[in-house]
Amino acid sequence: MASWPESPRLIGTSIPRLDGLAKASGRAKYPSDIRPEGLLFGVLLSSPHASAKVKAIDLEPAKTMPGVKAVLALATAGESTIFYQGQEIAAVAAETEEKARDAARAIRVEYEILPHVATERQSAAEGAPKVFPTGNTRAARAQTTGKPDEAMQKADAVIEATYELPVITHVCLEPHGLTAHWKGPDSITVYASTQSVMGVANDMVENLGLESANVTVLTDVMGGGFGSKFNADTWGIAAAKLAKEAGRPVRMFLDRAQEHQLGGNRPSAKAKIKLGAAKDGKLVAMVAETSGTGGRGGSNFPLPYVYKVDDRSRAHTEIFVNGGSARAMRAPGHPQGCAVMEAAMDDLAAKLGINPLAFRLANLAEADMVAGGVNRTDLYKEQVERGAKLIGWDRWKPRGQNGDGPIKRGLGLALHQWGGGGAQDKQVACIINPDGSVELRSATQDIGTGARTILAVIAAEVLGLEVGQIKSNIGNSTFPPGQSSGGSTTTPSMAPPCLDAVEKARDELFKRIAPGLDAKPEDLSLKGGKLLVKGEEKATWAQACRKLGMMPVTATGVFGPGLASTGVGGCQFAEVTVDVETGVVRVKKIVAVQDSGLILDMLTWKSQVYGGVIGGLNYGLFEERIMDEGTGAMLNPDMEMYKLAGATDIPEIVVDAYDTPEMRVRGVIGVGEPPTISTAAAIGNAVANAIGVRVPKWPMSPMNVLDALAAAEGKA
Amino acid sequence: MKAFEYSSPTTPEDALKDLAGPGTVEALSGGTDLIGRMKDYVASPDRVVYLKDVKALAGIAEKSGGLEIGAGTRLVDLSADPIVRKRLPALHQATVEVGTPQIRNMATVGGNLLQRPRCWYFRNGHGLLGTKDGKSLVREGDNRYHAIFLTEGDALFINPSSLAVPLIALNAQATVVGPGGERTIPVEKLYQVPKSSDDRELTLAPGELLTKVTIPAGEVKNGFFEARQKQSHDWPLVAAAVGLKMNGDTVGDGRVVLYGVAPIPWRSEAAEKAIRGKALTRETAEAAAAAAVEGAKPLSMNGYKVALVKTTVKRALLDAAGDRYWEEA
Ligand SMILES: Cc1cc2nc3c(=O)[nH]c(=O)nc-3n(C[C@H](O)[C@H](O)[C@H](O)COP(=O)(O)OP(=O)(O)OC[C@H]3O[C@@H](n4cnc5c(N)ncnc54)[C@H](O)[C@@H]3O)c2cc1C
Repeated sequence: MASWPESPRLIGTSIPRLDGLAKASGRAKYPSDIRPEGLLFGVLLSSPHASAKVKAIDLEPAKTMPGVKAVLALATAGESTIFYQGQEIAAVAAETEEKARDAARAIRVEYEILPHVATERQSAAEGAPKVFPTGNTRAARAQTTGKPDEAMQKADAVIEATYELPVITHVCLEPHGLTAHWKGPDSITVYASTQSVMGVANDMVENLGLESANVTVLTDVMGGGFGSKFNADTWGIAAAKLAKEAGRPVRMFLDRAQEHQLGGNRPSAKAKIKLGAAKDGKLVAMVAETSGTGGRGGSNFPLPYVYKVDDRSRAHTEIFVNGGSARAMRAPGHPQGCAVMEAAMDDLAAKLGINPLAFRLANLAEADMVAGGVNRTDLYKEQVERGAKLIGWDRWKPRGQNGDGPIKRGLGLALHQWGGGGAQDKQVACIINPDGSVELRSATQDIGTGARTILAVIAAEVLGLEVGQIKSNIGNSTFPPGQSSGGSTTTPSMAPPCLDAVEKARDELFKRIAPGLDAKPEDLSLKGGKLLVKGEEKATWAQACRKLGMMPVTATGVFGPGLASTGVGGCQFAEVTVDVETGVVRVKKIVAVQDSGLILDMLTWKSQVYGGVIGGLNYGLFEERIMDEGTGAMLNPDMEMYKLAGATDIPEIVVDAYDTPEMRVRGVIGVGEPPTISTAAAIGNAVANAIGVRVPKWPMSPMNVLDALAAAEGKA
Repeated sequence: MKAFEYSSPTTPEDALKDLAGPGTVEALSGGTDLIGRMKDYVASPDRVVYLKDVKALAGIAEKSGGLEIGAGTRLVDLSADPIVRKRLPALHQATVEVGTPQIRNMATVGGNLLQRPRCWYFRNGHGLLGTKDGKSLVREGDNRYHAIFLTEGDALFINPSSLAVPLIALNAQATVVGPGGERTIPVEKLYQVPKSSDDRELTLAPGELLTKVTIPAGEVKNGFFEARQKQSHDWPLVAAAVGLKMNGDTVGDGRVVLYGVAPIPWRSEAAEKAIRGKALTRETAEAAAAAAVEGAKPLSMNGYKVALVKTTVKRALLDAAGDRYWEEA
């Protein structure tokens, strides 16, 4: 049975990603960069209206435009209903992108415009037009544990507040899309910007009536998905259909506005929380009424999140709006649950006059057991201690004591949790060629997590080679089944079968060459690029492989027990300054402490944490999908008024890997989601600490900060 | 974008000929505003006249009448100019804070002054006043970035030019040439409040060319402060520039101009009155700040801009006085 090496040479060290230089220098070809011979450019025509019926579609004007090779209706006249601005109407393929755009505009669509609800407020208003025949809201029955109302009576301090987070979108740098290239009448190769080559292949098979064997989906590198790119999507299928009709490959990627409007989003969250605690700082009761919108989808989030409140009730109401549908986004639900719960915790600690750090630790479950007999509460305690040191928590002062001038300084923290376990049904193939080259194959992909590099690290470790000697071939749907990149599952799903495959291949290699060396297979070992027999150098790696003759070694690895695990904790600390005369928040420093079992490559691991923190910083400070009630349109479907951090907005980020012997024996756990969860929460708490007033609405924009200050002044 | 005819003249005379039409014509300078509008079909000119090959339009020169800044001068060159940096810190500061380095490398002074409003209703195709079925989308909708002065009227967008603010504070004059010859007007007079959706917010007639702005000679103490959410790649929310002719230690004649609060660069006469004859102290600055918000009528979402007017006016004055009390130690 495979196990991780006890004193590894490469695993856990900092190894640059294999495609890092190509990416940083612009040489890497992303799916949207692929230009097969004869390529046509596809453009998607989307609905300008948020709510309408499609009465008629006339494609003729587009068909006769110069350079147009194929046109396809995606909506059906007389049948299709438009639920949000940006919804798919038709698609065009032409010689240039400009010609395709002109042609798409020439398509005549007749709409019966219907009334819309663009915001939660509009949707919940009396007499509002209905998104679903059943109405605009769906209220779940309150879930009650214990006797919250009674318990609340006994609380020494109670806060009651409403916190809100807006809908944000994924803003993938490379928009959703693919290039479809038919290789024959029944066979297609697709270059997709996806986090699931197998998902896209499956969609092609199902929608185009193809045989799986005739569909190849390739994703060498890709420009971000964050949970929104698991499928071919209507426009991807449209590209394949247009390509078939035109007899030429078609490239179809959303434009930036469409990317915001229909590429997916993270639901909003609103939480009215009543939280009570006893004098000694123990939570006694929580009553929460929450809501959110995921367009026409769900918006639920976990509460009371990482804390223990025995007597509690929670009622969540889904609100539907005429806006693009939510898709999974980095740690679905957790950032919202974390932000509202941590805000309530902080406000209650302030009311009690207790240090918020101690207050948090006092309200964790005694035993929060996760896989491998690990008590996460113990982890949190150590992680918070480490984080406190790194941020300088000893400088923490209560609200309202953080500077005499207009610039106030504040500290905040928040805790988070995630699963991050792997699937157990994935495979990796390892091929050792007689020329000494080593290839790994799997139908998983690297969405930036470092999957390609990590698999190579494992192979190099086992074979005594350098990482650069391993060809890590992923992003190909025809390879052995691999994991979709979501939920922090890729590495824990793929590392175990990779280890198994490489060990099997190594053992097979030993078996085949041992006789020629007058040795037994068990006498052989590999080290530093050399083959050893009974510990003595006998051949170089290349010489050893040459002994294979014409026949490469191939082995397929599967999941094995004990190699991966699930269940992580983490905490983040933020230091901010707030100019109370302008409302401008500057984040000075973020400390992120994170466990995730055995870390395979410290560099790509840290890169995930940096990326998670930066995403969380954007959520905390800048991002907001702004919908217009008058027109139902998104007002900021761009990267200008939809604000995102630039290089100068990024603070010092200290990443502390909670990488202890106890964690390493747990095996591999994913880290994609956890580090993005608590950043916005920590920033919100640091702002409250700095200015002495809770800013109840994210993002922490000058408008929201100044409005909160004005409201507090009005009350005072 | 709609297909268009393109010309690339090399002299102002030829540029004027090309700008005369036929059809709708737009001048193209750095293109950072116009190209975006064309891509979004907010502007669909029949002809585009490229100005950057008109070398006579670019450059900064000190003349007897003052400092002349060609309309074709790139913002990056303006921000690097030693005279501007030394004597006109308000203009320098406003320039270096525009957009991003990439934008400043392309954008020009003329284009900056004559760029069209960023109002998201205008940019989403609802016209300059942002109306639908005769109703103001701005008033009813998301107006967080809109005006707080002159809001009784129909024009609720804000003038987008950061440079206009210090230039007006410095009493800069704009030179405009057209078919009828040359005229010089205060930079302020480049702008007007449109009365109807057919009006423009710019006073330049079609076919006219802005050739330069001139900052009159003479010592003017000046200062600038802008409040902006992000450090880069962002617009000011509100900014203020001041240009002060001093009488010894007190303000003789002073100008206080605001960005982000009205459909035109907003001269605060109340603030100007509040500083006249006063020494440049914190007290004076507070008084000017309080005066500057008189008459503000915020829309449904932008009440926060009132606080920003106070802060930016106060800080622009104290910036001129060298008292940057808000900077972290
Ligand atoms: C993310 C972002 C942030 C930004 N932040 C700021 C900011 O903080 N402050 C700010 O002020 N701006 C900001 N801008 C806008 C930018 O400064 C302007 O787009 C730029 O200054 C326009 O100059 P240009 O030369 O590129 O103009 P162009 O796009 O070439 O032209 C703009 C308009 O002026 C006309 N025009 C140009 N020159 C002449 C002339 N000589 N005579 C007659 N008409 C002329 C054109 O016909 C056109 O209508 C920002 C832009 C972006 C995208």
